[in-house]
Amino acid sequence: MTTKPGLTDEQLVVAVREKDKELYSEIIKRYSGKIGHYLCNFIKDTDDRQDVMQLVFIKAYRNLYDFDASRRFSPWLYRIAHNEALNYLKKYKKESLSLDEEEWEIVDEKMNLAEKTDSKILKSKIEKGLLKLKDRYREALILYFFEQKTYEEIGDILQVPRSTVGVLILRGKKELKEILKNEKYEQ
Amino acid sequence: MKNMNNKNNLEEKIMSQIKSGKVKLRSRYIFLAEKVGIGSAFVFSLLLAVLFLALLFFYLKSSDNLIYLSFGSRGLFAFLETFPYLLLISLVISIFIAGFILKKSGVMYQKPFGYLAIGMVGFIFLVGTFLTFTSLIQKLEERSYQRMGPERALRPLIHQRFMEKENGTAGRVMEIGENYINIQTPIGLQKLDLSALNLLEISFTEGAFVMAVGEKTEDNIFLVEKIKIINEEEMPFLRRGVQEKFGSFERREKPGFLDPQKRCFSDCINEGKTTTSCQGGCWQR
Repeated sequence: MTTKPGLTDEQLVVAVREKDKELYSEIIKRYSGKIGHYLCNFIKDTDDRQDVMQLVFIKAYRNLYDFDASRRFSPWLYRIAHNEALNYLKKYKKESLSLDEEEWEIVDEKMNLAEKTDSKILKSKIEKGLLKLKDRYREALILYFFEQKTYEEIGDILQVPRSTVGVLILRGKKELKEILKNEKYEQ
Repeated sequence: MKNMNNKNNLEEKIMSQIKSGKVKLRSRYIFLAEKVGIGSAFVFSLLLAVLFLALLFFYLKSSDNLIYLSFGSRGLFAFLETFPYLLLISLVISIFIAGFILKKSGVMYQKPFGYLAIGMVGFIFLVGTFLTFTSLIQKLEERSYQRMGPERALRPLIHQRFMEKENGTAGRVMEIGENYINIQTPIGLQKLDLSALNLLEISFTEGAFVMAVGEKTEDNIFLVEKIKIINEEEMPFLRRGVQEKFGSFERREKPGFLDPQKRCFSDCINEGKTTTSCQGGCWQR
């Protein structure tokens, strides 16, 4: 099997479409970690996540001719992953969210929560808070904070204008802060 | 380590399906056809919306519908009776379909949908208004009378006037009697009872077009509350409707002359029979 480390994602897609189908394994190598990480935000169960991930890459392969090679490949693939994750949640009516250590630290730092409580409690609070957010806000916050995507990429993934991404993140942060504040008083 | 194994497993699974031909690339022509199909559906629904709007404006401009409003509250009922609801509903549906396609296709998601929708509706209004004042819509309306041709599909949308109206009527004066006139409307003959009016103020002439509001009785006589003489040139819809039903108006050759059919109808009405039965008896001989 050939590997093409010098090619960009977009060039690789064109090569898969026109020349060598086996080059698709390179795309899987490049993105399985990132997509797996992104799906973690929606699907807790490892086996289910693997199944959805497989579905994402197969769907992406089947629809490779739908990809416009003049644009960036990453948001296009994330868009498929996003849709499949939502389909999964709809199908099984499950909703799960799991932040790893690094992730909740990012949330804490970026949102300036200034909370000196026990870190484990804070982590669990953020997880619960994110679950209480509206889907649109949660998706935008996850892509921005955990996937480190730019506004433009988030716009491409969620298929909304860049200005809307800014609004979603701003309102999401505000609502999350409110939720965390309210929980603090409740305790 | 477990993650690495998962990764390799996934890659192997997917690649084996690709290599075995179980998973195939969908042809580029399928995507092309999808895009062309969606684009065509959008353009078609946009053009339909423009056409419906132009027809709606043309109908309001050329028919008796809007003029009824000048008669006051009774005129409002007549206006509502003759309003082309089907055309308005078709317009709204086609705008919604165009908007739905625009949103769901995701082609222009980088622009806020609100602006796109405003732009789309603005375009429809601009082109629709422009078309209203060209001869194209009038030709379409004229062709919709023909027995053949696709324009016939427009008939149910614009021929609201063929409906029986309870609160208003308009048509060509064919006979003037004492306290009554008979008029030719696009749906048939109608006797108007003028006994509630001060007839000194109005002088009718045969062949002139009139509009009236009032109430229809059970024996199909229209009790007029208000009536006015109108310029037929301003209402081509009404004129064409009457002409299609009765042909061009022929004036009497000498005072008191009525052609045999009109004479028959007049006598029949004076005998106290209903307009419908007289119409059937005299014109279908």
